[in-house]
Order: sequence, then C-alpha cells, then structure tokens
Amino acid sequence: MNVHHEPMEGREILGAPSNSRTSFFKGRYLDSPLMVDIEYIKYLTESHRVTDGTEVLERRAADHAYALSRLTPVIHDHDTLAGNKTRFIRGAIPYANYAAEPFLREMRKEEQDAQSQHMEQGKGGGIRKALLEAEQNGLRLISGKFLISKDEYEQFKEICTYWEDKCFMAQGNLLWKNHFRNASFIEDGWKIGLYTAPHEPCPEGRLILDFETALASGFNQVIRETEEKIRAFQPEDITEGAKINFWKAAITVLKGAIVFAENYAAEAEHLAESESDPARKAELMRMAEICSRVPMEPPRNFREAVQSFWFTYLLGHLEGSHLGYSPGKLDQLLYPYYKNDPNLTRSEAISLFEELFVKMTQIEYIASMSWQGLGHGNLYQNLILGGVDEKGERADNEVSMAILQAQINMQMTQPTLSVWWDEKLDSEFLLKASECVKTGVGYPAFFNQPTYVQHELKTSGLPLATIRKHSAIGGCTEPTLQGMAYGIVQAGFVNHGKIIDLVLNEGVDPVTGIRMAKPRKPGTFDEVRSYYLEIMQAAVRNWQQYWNYVMIAHRNTVPLVFCSVFVNNCLERGKCMDDGGALLNQSITTLSSGMVNVANSLAVIRKLCFDDKVCSIDELFKAVRENWQGHEGLRKKALAVPHWGNDDDYVDDIFLDLFDEYCDWVSGQNNYLGKPYDPSMLAISTPVPFGKVCNAFPDGRLKGEPLADGVTSPFPGTDVCGPTAVIRSSMKVDHTRIRGGLLNLKFHPSALKGVSGSKNMLALIKTYFEKPGFHVQFNVVDSRMLLDAQVHPENYRDLVVRVAGFSAYWVEMSKSLQDQVIWRTEHSL
Amino acid sequence: MDGTILNIQNYAVHDGPGIRTLVFLKGCPLRCAWCCNPESQSAGAQLRYISFRCKTCMACVEHCPTGSVSAGNGEVRRIFDECNACSGKNCIDACNYDAVSVSGREISSDELIKIIARDIPFYRNSGGGVTFSGGEPLMQGAFLLEVLQGCKKLDIHTTVETCGWSDRKTLHNILPFTNLFLYDLKIIDPGQHLCHTGQPVDPIIGNLKFIASENADIIIRFPLIPGITDTAQNVKNIAETMNVIKLNRICLEPYHSLGREKYDEHGMEYGLDHVVQYEHSQVIAFRDYFQELGFQCEIA
Repeated sequence: MNVHHEPMEGREILGAPSNSRTSFFKGRYLDSPLMVDIEYIKYLTESHRVTDGTEVLERRAADHAYALSRLTPVIHDHDTLAGNKTRFIRGAIPYANYAAEPFLREMRKEEQDAQSQHMEQGKGGGIRKALLEAEQNGLRLISGKFLISKDEYEQFKEICTYWEDKCFMAQGNLLWKNHFRNASFIEDGWKIGLYTAPHEPCPEGRLILDFETALASGFNQVIRETEEKIRAFQPEDITEGAKINFWKAAITVLKGAIVFAENYAAEAEHLAESESDPARKAELMRMAEICSRVPMEPPRNFREAVQSFWFTYLLGHLEGSHLGYSPGKLDQLLYPYYKNDPNLTRSEAISLFEELFVKMTQIEYIASMSWQGLGHGNLYQNLILGGVDEKGERADNEVSMAILQAQINMQMTQPTLSVWWDEKLDSEFLLKASECVKTGVGYPAFFNQPTYVQHELKTSGLPLATIRKHSAIGGCTEPTLQGMAYGIVQAGFVNHGKIIDLVLNEGVDPVTGIRMAKPRKPGTFDEVRSYYLEIMQAAVRNWQQYWNYVMIAHRNTVPLVFCSVFVNNCLERGKCMDDGGALLNQSITTLSSGMVNVANSLAVIRKLCFDDKVCSIDELFKAVRENWQGHEGLRKKALAVPHWGNDDDYVDDIFLDLFDEYCDWVSGQNNYLGKPYDPSMLAISTPVPFGKVCNAFPDGRLKGEPLADGVTSPFPGTDVCGPTAVIRSSMKVDHTRIRGGLLNLKFHPSALKGVSGSKNMLALIKTYFEKPGFHVQFNVVDSRMLLDAQVHPENYRDLVVRVAGFSAYWVEMSKSLQDQVIWRTEHSL
Repeated sequence: MDGTILNIQNYAVHDGPGIRTLVFLKGCPLRCAWCCNPESQSAGAQLRYISFRCKTCMACVEHCPTGSVSAGNGEVRRIFDECNACSGKNCIDACNYDAVSVSGREISSDELIKIIARDIPFYRNSGGGVTFSGGEPLMQGAFLLEVLQGCKKLDIHTTVETCGWSDRKTLHNILPFTNLFLYDLKIIDPGQHLCHTGQPVDPIIGNLKFIASENADIIIRFPLIPGITDTAQNVKNIAETMNVIKLNRICLEPYHSLGREKYDEHGMEYGLDHVVQYEHSQVIAFRDYFQELGFQCEIA
C-alpha cells in the first residue's frame, strides 16, 4: 500500500464520563460477562401453567403481571436510577414462550438452523469473559456466549420443554407448515440462504410507546379511565366482547407493573436501612420515594420523569422478545420537565443520561444464533433528537444538547442515537451532533424528517401535524410514529444476491442443487431482467404470505398487552395491537438487501454481452460460475463497467428500475392487519452472511464476498468518483417510497477535522437531504487504526464503530464483519 | 479546447473553503525534490507501474511494441525512458491486475466544466467551489482560462493553486475569473531557489506583486522541507517578502513522504529518502513564529 508512511490519525473527539460515578458504571459494564437470566421466563411459565382456559389477552396479561410482581428488584452499587431488565449487569432473558425450539436444539446438541453455520459471532470483550468464566467456574453456556448456572440450566431445559409445543414459533409452524401451499419454498429458501433465519425468536420491536401519556397521566389514572370504560360499555355487536377482555387485561398488567415499581421502592428503603454512608443512604431514600410515586402518578420533577420513563420503557421491554424497541423522541418527552425543574443543574441531567445509556446498553438479548449474529448483540434502541414539532418549528432543545453531550462522554453502543434533520435545526445543535460523530462512535445517524413525513402522508393519510409530532425511528433505520403504530414486525430479509445465483443457474441454487424457479435460459438483457423479477416476486410474495400465517399465531400466543396500553388508540378502541388497535397498521415491512449488486450485475451483462458484444451471455455466465478463475481479463472488463455510486446513469437507471419494481410488488400484498406491506430496504449485518452463501456475480464480485450494504451504499471499492458521486447516485432514488433506507459513508478523520470539517459534513448532509435523501451515517475512523485493532484488540476494548444501522464494540464483532468495515471505501484525501 | 489532467477529486476540503472539486492539471516548470505529485511534472501522459499488484504473468512483455518491458528471473523490468505510454496502451489492456496504468488524460474544457458543475449543490451549501492544482495549472493557460470562464458563468467559486512561474499575460487573463490564489513561496534566495527548483525566483515574486496589486485574494503556501526551506534565514525571508507585498495569510505545508511510491511507479528518482518528517511540535513552532509576527497562519 502506498500510504504506510503516514502517521496514524486518532479520533478527533475523545470524551470521557462526566464524573466518577458514571465512569464506574462504564467500567463495570465493560468488565461484566454476558449472563442469561431465567427469572422472568420462570415466573411467566409458572403462571402460564395455571392460567390455561383463560381468554388469550387476559391470560397474557395475567402471566406478565405475575412475573413482573415477582422479579427480584436489584439495585446495584451507586445506581441512582432504579430498574433493570435482569438481575445481572449484562443480562438477557431467554423468551422460550416465543421460540423454545432453538434453545432445545442447542441443549439437545442438535444441529442449529441452516443459516447459523454461515453466521459468525464475535469472540472478544464480554463474550470472551463469559467463555473464560464458563471454563473456570463450571458454568454453562447458552447460545455461544451467555453464562448460566448448572441448576438454572436444568430449570431452563424444563421450561423450554414446557413451551416446545405451546410457544409462538411452534403454534405458527402448525399453521403455515400445514396450510400454506408454498411452505416448501420457504423451507428451501432457508436452506439456500435466500432468506434470513426464522424471526420468531425475536420478532417484536421497531415499536415506540406513548411515553408522553404514560408520564402525564400516570398508571393509576390510566387504570381508572379503563375501569370507567368497562362500566360505560354497551355492547352492540357480538364481536365487541373482546373489548372487555382487552380492558381487563390492561388493568391486570398495569397493576402488575405498579407492584414491580413498588418492589424497587421497598428494596431501596431496605438498602437504605443498612447503609452506613450517609450520602448513599440519602440517595437510596430518595430512590425509594421516587419509586413509590412513579409511574403511578405524574412526575413532579426531571429525575422523577426520567425514572417514570425508564420504568415504563422497561415494562414494555420485559413483555416481548424485542429487537429495536425504542425510546423515541426523548428530548421532546423530557424537555417540559427539564425546563420546569428549578433545582436541576445541566450537569446533573447529563450524569443521569450517562447512567441511563449504560443501563440501556446493559440489556442483552438472546435468540437463535442466526439472529444474534445478524444483530451482533445490538438491541437497536433508537433515540432520536431534533426534528420539527407539529407546527413545523425546530424542536431541538437543551435536552437534545445534554443527550448529545452524554453520548460524547460515554460512547456506549446504546442507545442508537439519531437526529431528525430539518433545515430549521439550530446550527449549534448540528455542530454538537457532528462532534459526537467525530468520536468515531458512529452516532448520531442523520435522518431526513421531511422525507418520512412525505412517505407517511402518502401511505397513512394521517394529518401532517400528527405525523410531524410523532415521527421517530424504531430500531436501526425504520421510521414510524411514536405511540401510534403497530411495531414493524416483519419476517426478515430477502437476499437479492441469491436471486442472481438462481438467474445464472437456470433457477437452481448452485451450492445446494435445490430448484427454486422454472428453468429458463435468458438470451437477451430483457430476459435476464424479467427472470430476475420473476424470482424476486416469488421470493417476496411467498415470504409475505408465510409471515401472515405466522402472525395469526402471534395473536393467539404472545399479543402485547402492556405495550398496547400505550399505543394509540388501543384503549379507546378496546383492541390490542394484534386486533388492529393502533392508528397506524401499515408499518409492517418487507425487507431486502443486496440490490446494488443486482443493478451492477445487470449493467455488466447489458454492456459486455449486448452493447459492446465483448462476450456472449453464456461465456459471461460460465466465467462467473467458475468464480472468474481463468477469466481475469473478462473480470477486469466487468469491473470497468459503471457500477452504482458513481453518478453514472448507465447503471443508476437500472437500479432505479429495480427499486420501483420492488416497491410496487411489495405493496401489492396486504399484511396481516389488512394494510399493504410497506417496502423497506436495510442491511443490519446481512451483507456478510448473505454474501457468504452466494457464488460470484457478473459485477466482478467474487464468491463469498459480502454484498453491498445498506440500500444505496456502493459495493466496496467500486465507488471511484468520491463521496459526492455516491450521494448523487443515491439522490436519484425516491426515498419517500420506502420505510427505511441506509447510506454508509466512511471518512478518514482528516477529512472532517475541526469546525470547518464539521461544517462541510453538515453541508454534505444538507445537500443530500434537500433532494431528498433519507438517511446517512458516518464512520470516522482511520482504517489503519482498525487494522491495528484487529492485531491488538486489548488496546481497543472501548472502540465503537458503526456497522450498519447500529454501532458495536469492535472487539465483539466477528472477524468477517471487521474486515467488511475496513473494506468499505474510506473517503479521505 | 482540450487539456491534460491527472485526476479529479471531489469532496476536497483542504484546498480552499468548503467542499471543493480538485482538478490536477499536468505539467510543471519546476522540479522540486520534495514534490508529492511527481507524475504531474511532465506535460504528457506517463506510464505507471504498481509492482505489488503485478503477478508476473508477463502479458505486458508480450504486448509491448517498444521493447521497454522485459522479463528476467521471474521479474518484470521496465525501462521508463523507452516507454512512450503508447497510444495503443498495449500493456495496460493486457494486464488483468491493474498493475499498469497511465497517468494523465486529455479532457475537453466543456467536459471538465460539466464534471465540476455536478457538485454545485455541495458548493452552494458549504461555500465551496473548484480548485485547480497540479502540476502548474498556468502551464495550460488557455485551457485553464476557458474552464475558469465556464465556471464563473455558473457562479462557481474558483481557486487556483500556483507556483507562480508563468508569463504575465496568462496570469492577467485568468485574474478576473479567479476568486482565490493559493500561491506557493518556497525559497526567497535566488541561488537557492534555482538550485532546488530548477527555475529563478524573480518572476515568481514579480507575479505575486502583480496579482497583489490587482487586489487578488491570496493565501501563501509555504512547504516546510527539512534543511532546504526551513532554514532560519529563509523563513525570515518569506515573512519579510509577505510584509513587503502586504500579504497576511500563510499556510504551512510540512514535508511528508506520501508521494514516495509514486516516484518508483513512474520510474523517477526520489532524492529525499534521507529526510525525516517533522515532529508535530516542530511544525507548531514554525506556526507560532508566523503568528507572533502577526500573520494568519495555518498548518495544512
């Protein structure tokens, strides 16, 4: 390489916890192993064993409430915020009620699902710690990285056996495997890597509750109002009976939630009694007082508001197996309490956010190995700042600034911090946001609010003011309406790359020999394109229909009652979310990744085989099938054909055509709530496992290499015209058509240095968003630093980098994902 | 008309304000030993050979019409002087591993303006524009003028980075279409300048005085080269010259060896292998010197 003389450039902004307490929290987190905590599922199961015969919603509420009121209230040393999802610092709940099968298979030493052999998990950091402790202390491991005691392991095995035929996944399987006519297409799709693994182990999420109402009313008031609804109810239709079930369930679950908070109050009081340090004693007494007030009654000050939010948030988090369950617009929620608290200092608020962020990062999830690998342990708890209010005025405020400062100080992987961009935002706020980006942590990502508003106006028909006020990001990059929408509960991803394999091999998967489509031998460009579309359409449609079957079982096994209470207008309508209680039900998406490789491949086919007649289509396909070996000359010509990301219409037009075809086709099928499926494209870490199962492509990509990531990020190494050309290509896409999208840009620190560097970055965002783009995020790292971090992970324990819709600790990422991040084109000078 | 360029970079942020497109024009009258774009010195196209990509498949040897490439001991040997970067580009086509390429290509002023114009929205939002560098852009004066005029028609901010070695007329012509000059001053002592750059310094200082008298916006760029330009006397001379011409802004460019490999790749000799890069504190000391004299001084 011709740059090895250059000294390594570090991160411009470093940041450190603002005080010794939060510094302790971060250190404690980094030193803790990953644990699995079966307490919640144990109590839930205990209840479920005796609630048989109860109506589904009421049973679900009773089980959740039973568990909530019995969970051990753990207050760790120095904590000032009460409430944890598990008893451990880094703990995960194994939701066997969602999917017992993957756990059982592991415990029975059976083979994991087909995808998991292509997945790779990280091996450093807390994961390494867990592996070491397992060895030393005779503990057991679940899902490759979580510790559990031998006794609890046995208990858990029994719990899983109980759920084996009752869990959501088993009940869903009964439906679709027996009744869906194309069931074999789905199963074959998994075998060949056309789809991500079954999503049932962690389907919930991309959901944001109406915390505003939860705080302002308090749980007691919500219970009173619901009781009033039951009293005033006059049925006029036989189906309305379910309303009473839901309302009763709501009251049950809220009462359980109150006990959960009260248990923390009692624990704080108990700890205070035996505390010898007067300062800590006072803190514990204050905690006890706060926990006996919120979330039952409205908060009276900022600290109570944060505590009330955190309890409400946790209670929803506990209920389901979530990925992407999000806090949403926390700066908007907390600003009134911040502004009206005469005793609060800015540094106290920042410290509280620092503590909150550690708590959010401490939540782990355990699911199938495949999904753990895909999500890389990240929970995608998206916290979005700024944007505009219902009147269209800028909404960034002092709390937005405090949150940014807290993240600059802490650099935790959670929350997934985002900014709603709007041209009205304050420049000081935007500069603070870019300062945060320059820590290298990858947060915040920037999202264009007007683009999403357009999308929602077109699809939901809700009023502009409502959309503006509630728009937030649920999960990594999927926009939704906070407190008003059903979660974005989709089946998983379709692998466009695998479709290229099928097109090149007459409908047969070259790796497994499984036939997925009618045999065709395309002879013209149009025939190639239509063959691709034919297979894409089958892949998408079957995926959607399969998922509609699965979600029938969701309603019958794991409907979210607590969460429904805080999604409008479930209580008003007397319907939980699964019965269509939410105002927005078009939030279910169909996801895919790898379309850039398809567009590049089609461009190469058109150029080499038809425009320039360099080779025949048979010759090209043969070279690709042979992984280009012995065809280096032809591969060189393929790579010279314009690729996506260089603002070249030759290939960009092909991408736009495919994009439109995909969007039109996706929304042609209704979801299980009666609304059209919403097209979406993102990536998480799918490009790595999806690429692993694919042969070489006509675009010059070699067998096994990762796919292009995100929606509009170029394939690594093929964007040769610089970052503005990448953005100009991306600008051509109508981002208002999809729910979610992704553009990764990686910059060398020198390109963004200083205030002028920040301003240039903001100008780049503004230019992209004026068009309008939807999302852009930055990795500001020196690739040589990352290479060094591969060799000396011990020096980079706290290095966080942006992977896709999330950031992760470098040392906990798999080697292949690390390589991919390094490989992404680094824009520097 | 057509010109010869080396490269176009977008999102350039170190050569003028805001987000810029940076155009490297080929050809330079100076021969500075520390040049980090050695392939920009000669006016015509040049062959580039990146040896670590070479798989010694010998395809280039078979396809070379001049015999300037030969094989021996499993190695490819190139005689750059005998290679004329032939129009057939035989060895480039033959190479499957991107080990051979050509530095420099012809482009019409219209096409170049079109490429520059693509980033107008980025310029507008960042206060950026286009910067012409090189090489010495004034070597292709007529071409540069056409492109500058085209850019001004589109209201694009223009910057010219120059070593100042040019006939007065060319400089006079581009003045109305140039918003900012990044003007290199290397060595003030005439003998030393001639020795290290191959050209006399007087015309350079004369041209600088001329554009200053025409009220051009100027930032001086001063390459800090250990033992060559960084002597106490020369640094003092630079400051005095700027004082005389009433210039206030200076940007220090500390020596680096990033262009080192490119010498080998183009079959050129590098004369500064013995030179050690500065410690950051040394560069700061130079900056402080200029700042204490009242100059606005930055480090590149």
